[in-house]
Amino acid sequence: MDFEFLVDSTLHKIFLEKKENVFIVSDGEKTFEADIRFISANAVSILIEGRSHLVYIAREKDKKYFYLDGQQFIVQEPSQERESFQAGEEKTKDAELLVKAPMPGKVIKINVSEKEEVRKNQTLAIVEAMKMENEIKSSIEGYVKKIFVSAGDLVDSERPLIELSLKK
Amino acid sequence: MELRMLPRLEKDIILFKKILVANRGEIAVRIIKACQEMSIPTVAVYSEVDRNSLHVQMADEAVCIGPAAAIESYLNMERIIQVAHQTGAEAIHPGYGFLAENSDFSRRCEEEKIVFIGPNSRALELVGDKVRSRQTMEKAGIPIIPGMKRIAKDFSELEAEAKKISYPVMIKASGGGGGKGMRIVSNPGELKPSLEAGMREAKSAFGDESVYLEKYIEEPRHVEFQGLADNHGNVVHLFERECSIQRRHQKIVEETPSQALDTELRFRMGETAKKVLQVSGYNNAGTVEFLLDKDKNFYFLEVNARLQVEHPVTELTTGVDLVHQQILIASGEKLPFKQEDLKQRGHAIECRIYAEDPRSNFLPSSGKILFIKEPKGPGVRHDCGIYSGCDVPIYYDPILAKLIVWAENRRMACQRMLRALEDYVILGIKTTIDFLKDVVSHPQFEAGKTTTHFIKQYFDGWEGKEKTEENLRLALIASAFDSLNQTSAGKGGAAVQKEVSSPWQTLGRWRLGGK
Repeated sequence: MDFEFLVDSTLHKIFLEKKENVFIVSDGEKTFEADIRFISANAVSILIEGRSHLVYIAREKDKKYFYLDGQQFIVQEPSQERESFQAGEEKTKDAELLVKAPMPGKVIKINVSEKEEVRKNQTLAIVEAMKMENEIKSSIEGYVKKIFVSAGDLVDSERPLIELSLKK
Repeated sequence: MELRMLPRLEKDIILFKKILVANRGEIAVRIIKACQEMSIPTVAVYSEVDRNSLHVQMADEAVCIGPAAAIESYLNMERIIQVAHQTGAEAIHPGYGFLAENSDFSRRCEEEKIVFIGPNSRALELVGDKVRSRQTMEKAGIPIIPGMKRIAKDFSELEAEAKKISYPVMIKASGGGGGKGMRIVSNPGELKPSLEAGMREAKSAFGDESVYLEKYIEEPRHVEFQGLADNHGNVVHLFERECSIQRRHQKIVEETPSQALDTELRFRMGETAKKVLQVSGYNNAGTVEFLLDKDKNFYFLEVNARLQVEHPVTELTTGVDLVHQQILIASGEKLPFKQEDLKQRGHAIECRIYAEDPRSNFLPSSGKILFIKEPKGPGVRHDCGIYSGCDVPIYYDPILAKLIVWAENRRMACQRMLRALEDYVILGIKTTIDFLKDVVSHPQFEAGKTTTHFIKQYFDGWEGKEKTEENLRLALIASAFDSLNQTSAGKGGAAVQKEVSSPWQTLGRWRLGGK
């Protein structure tokens, strides 16, 4: 059976099919046999040509985490990511204008006010999480169009904080 | 040498009937375990977001003390004292952070006849006041970093002062820290231009151009001594810990013994540390921090008046359980050993596991831990406050756990730490595990050449190793296998589905490429 996965936002294909006690795997270049089984709900043991690999899995609503040999791969369903890809193009245009929270936290301070002129790298707001304050800086020169949050607000990752507009 | 670690088993000691642990996370768990070993019932306190935390599960009793914000819960002294009375706890262990070094809290406990497992409030007040403790230490002949104690009038005064301190000197802004206005001056010719630049920078950063001079410590190492002092005037030290590996003044890797100390220097620093505790009128566990320069001169920095995060490396090399000792001292016991009874054995290293993303400027990473596999094996200790399925809230310190290893020598301890880190998996949130692997396997670390500049010098802009094609292929295979089981489970289940409970069955459908 062919599978498509988005791994760290890039589309990858793999073929996997059960044949008696082993699996036939093909990645488009090579085809080989693998002995694959669950060790626990969070671990898959893979034997390929006598070499042993252990892959850890964790599952979340819309993504899965795979971890082996010190490396983590975040795998998502292709359909979902495609939508955000499309939206992504528009986003890139607006990314600089819409300033978002980089992580979940608490807004400590909004350093600017609406209609105010801002320089590049000027601190717009301070968001705190886990006792660390993070300065949110402007990546453009322009004006503050709208402020969506105020000091004391709890914000999730990616939550819009401030909208900027470019200098004419 | 025989240490009588648990005298309770040998003679009758009246220990506390119950201890309240005024903390959360790994340190609360660590303290509860010590209490359990001493058959002392425990009371956990928790904030509204910590209901599911590990310390709540482990304690005999647990009481909610308020909302998530620490100021309304873990720092709420009156509420904690009220809970102690209400539950009949005779003593409070504050752990580290929160109220651990708060002399007001220590005094409130004294007033309420609750034993504060830590130093008395007077000593706590003294060592907590940087200026006063510096003066006290200087009077007692303890070496402190040479520097000016006031702002100079003019350049000639600064010039004379720099000569007195001896070059290299550091210019520091009076108005604030963060490296602003700071300049290192290595000879008299550089003094004037550096002062001008430093003052300009200080003026623009703090609106105050005043600066002062301090001796610049070259290639500094952070070396601290663990002390224990009972209520009967006995003081011992349990040797040093080297904590030079720091990021933004936060320790991340600690070890003992320090590679910079020999027997003679260790003896001198240890005796100095004891003297620091004595002149402070200190009791219970405390740590004396020093800076050690490249010429092996050491300078007193401060006393950490609490159980330290990095205390396990001392425990593994001395065989002394510091939390047991804290409890015994607080209950009025004399120290069960003298200085000459204490020996260091082997080498121990600790890595702090933080909920931070080392690949994006160590941004805090909160959220649900979907899966944790704890490292195990000979000489491996894992002090941990998390479990698979737990939430890491945004409100508190990002420390999740501590990985500590012990081995016969340093080389083997480094190896063991690397293996243990490789055996350590946390999925769901970002952690510093990968970063630490590169730190402990760095040639300069392996060579023991650790200074407080280490991370800045060698790990600025660290990105980690690139993912390999082979690992990607294996991840894809595992992913396809997982999806295959998921679909076949829907059709009645493959053999493997019967063996393993299947949380993935409840997950949304995954679109497969083929039809």
